[in-house]
Amino acid sequence: MTQSLDRYHRQILLPCFGEEGQRKLLGSTALILGCGALGTMNASMLARAGVGRLIIIDRDFIELTNLQRQILFNEADVANAIPKAAAAKEKLSGINSDIEIISVVDDINHANLERYCGLTEGSEYPRVDVIVDGVDNFETRYLANDVAVKHGIPYIYGGAVGTFGAQYAILPHTEKGDAPWEKLPGATPCLRCIFEQMPPPGLTPTCDTVGVLGPVVSIIANLEVVETIKVLLGNFAAVRPTMLNIDVWENTYRQLKIAKAYDVGDCPCCKHRKFEFIDGFFGSSTTTLCGRNAVQLTHKQGHVGTGSHSGGGGMNFDEIADRLRKHGKVTANKFMIRAELTDNGNPYELTLFTDGRAIVKGTKESNIARSIYAKYVGA
Amino acid sequence: MLYFDNAATSFPKPPEVAQAMAQLLATDAANPGRAGHRMAVRAEQKLDQTRLKLARFFNAPDHHRLVFAMNCTDALNMAIKGVLSDASGAHVITTVLEHNSVSRPLQSLATSGGGGIELTRVTCDDDGLIDPDEIRKAIQPNTKLIVMMQASNVLGTIQDIAAVGKIAREHDLLFCVDSAQSAGVLPIDIQAMNIDLLAFPGHKSLLGPTGTGGLYVGTRCPEPVSSSSGSGDHPAAFRPWREGGTGGDSSSPSQPAMYPFYLEGGTPNTVGVAGLDAGLQYVIDHDMSKTLTHEQHMVQTIIDKVADDDRFILYGPPEASKRVGTVSINIKGYEPSDAASILDDSFEIAVRPGLHCSPYAHRRIGTYPAGSIRISPGPFNTDEQLATLLDALDQIAG
Repeated sequence: MTQSLDRYHRQILLPCFGEEGQRKLLGSTALILGCGALGTMNASMLARAGVGRLIIIDRDFIELTNLQRQILFNEADVANAIPKAAAAKEKLSGINSDIEIISVVDDINHANLERYCGLTEGSEYPRVDVIVDGVDNFETRYLANDVAVKHGIPYIYGGAVGTFGAQYAILPHTEKGDAPWEKLPGATPCLRCIFEQMPPPGLTPTCDTVGVLGPVVSIIANLEVVETIKVLLGNFAAVRPTMLNIDVWENTYRQLKIAKAYDVGDCPCCKHRKFEFIDGFFGSSTTTLCGRNAVQLTHKQGHVGTGSHSGGGGMNFDEIADRLRKHGKVTANKFMIRAELTDNGNPYELTLFTDGRAIVKGTKESNIARSIYAKYVGA
Repeated sequence: MLYFDNAATSFPKPPEVAQAMAQLLATDAANPGRAGHRMAVRAEQKLDQTRLKLARFFNAPDHHRLVFAMNCTDALNMAIKGVLSDASGAHVITTVLEHNSVSRPLQSLATSGGGGIELTRVTCDDDGLIDPDEIRKAIQPNTKLIVMMQASNVLGTIQDIAAVGKIAREHDLLFCVDSAQSAGVLPIDIQAMNIDLLAFPGHKSLLGPTGTGGLYVGTRCPEPVSSSSGSGDHPAAFRPWREGGTGGDSSSPSQPAMYPFYLEGGTPNTVGVAGLDAGLQYVIDHDMSKTLTHEQHMVQTIIDKVADDDRFILYGPPEASKRVGTVSINIKGYEPSDAASILDDSFEIAVRPGLHCSPYAHRRIGTYPAGSIRISPGPFNTDEQLATLLDALDQIAG
């Protein structure tokens, strides 16, 4: 490698880093899944640290309400309606022109994530060394978890909403059990070891419905970056084995010891090697509806409380209606909630039914419908 | 699940349908006509028996001219593109009620450069009925073809195709009938009704599986391009829109000009045809006039419920006798898609919202672009199920 390492001098000084560590970082590839508040911080810090290749995927466009916490974006990006992934690439290129940044404007789903991770035959993307979580919904997280376990790629989970955040590094159990981390310190439980099923739609708060404090996302994102750097340096013994839960307003910092979750459980993913999110058995699917400019989003199994037919599925209509009222006119009866929303300047009508399915009117694009659902209902 | 979406595809199927398919898969699922071994011969015989049974059912004079298709859309494309691909400048008459399986092939021929066709869409009355006289009035010196449905997939209205067939024959025009909503529930007599091209689905009222259908090509249609002439310079030929292996005559560079092989390139769906054969047999054995009466009774009950209730809007005639088993309504205050989702989500009732692939029909009845809720009972729906449906509609309307 002929690149000058001068710019990385201050981190090379660290005993845990050194020149060798820096070269490892420059030779590695990280996938940043989602480029919102978490993802922009992840991307910014990893680019500055000199991770050689960053793949950044996000389906959304920049909105004014993003600027409160999404550190790579500015008012001109809002005015120009630039996709987040494209704007991030532009900004990051100005921060570190020595590294390669690949931006992808797309909905992440079971049909494409392995390709974007460079894991499918003929994929045009490099094989990633780590997956960094910057997404806003559990469906994508469970999908990333499947990909991580199936292919033996560390997955750095992080999430934040309100004043609360959680962060955890998954060093997956692999089929052969020969990944470097499996000798020492040992693999860590996956998301499905801890919570076998996703929370029901509509039950988890989202930044768009209950709000979010900017710094808590930055803190969680930087904790993710720390664990990512440890993984890319190959220093798996340094990876924190606990799930850290923080509430920066309540001043609570808790480390949950979850190492036993693998042993005590019967994880379909780690133990039985069933990748139901990759295979599309679980998660959501969309259908463009005949007649209207509308997309229907339905849930397959994989949520707590959703079977083939749940007749309720854990949806709390009153609570969801209350949340949606902060965004627009809401009408509701015992069969459905209808909310008129304005998202990024465009009007949408979201109709939600008791089993968690939704119809998003105002678009024929499934990725827009998914985005609206993830933001305002929570997926 | 209470299934009221039989206009899309019938459900349930008689148990004999699945049995026949499993039986064929277990014993005779060889490639018909591709070899002389006994399994291939049995598969070929199954196709031929079903072909003959269908030809008799529709009173077609020559069962070899009845070709299998993957569905009614496939059959209509074969018919329309087959007859019109050499007919540049020809005039075609169709109606506003048609399904996209007719409208779209015609539209693409009308807008294709050079050899485009001229198209007239005859409108219907407020009840969704086509006056045959309006079709007569639309005839021009260059008119070549009339294409229309026997029953509307949106309103269920039954059209007088016998009268239109008579007009077509008097004017020496070809007459193509889309029987998507009628085959298996309304009488169809290819000879008496002067039908030159009959397209039908296997999976609706004929009670077969999806992936089946067919087309009858009458002798008044242009002849196939003969394999000896080979080239594409035949002045008015019937063109196959799918060409390929037929099992016989493999040395010929072009599609053998012999029915049914001319239009049946590729391995036929023998498993599906075995199911269609069983479904058709059920229809024959169970007197389809009784099925029609049953479905009309159900539709009349729905109409009686909604017609004078100002929470609902009914489309089409108030008499079920003018319809097959299909009725379109709306519930005031609800988008059709929302109401249908509630029926599914809260009541486990299947109906079809939207435009039903018939945008011109919905424009005509004033329901474009949201469409309507289409309720289509089938032979196996019960009065008890119907009562549950009506109660659900009542609860949703509030």
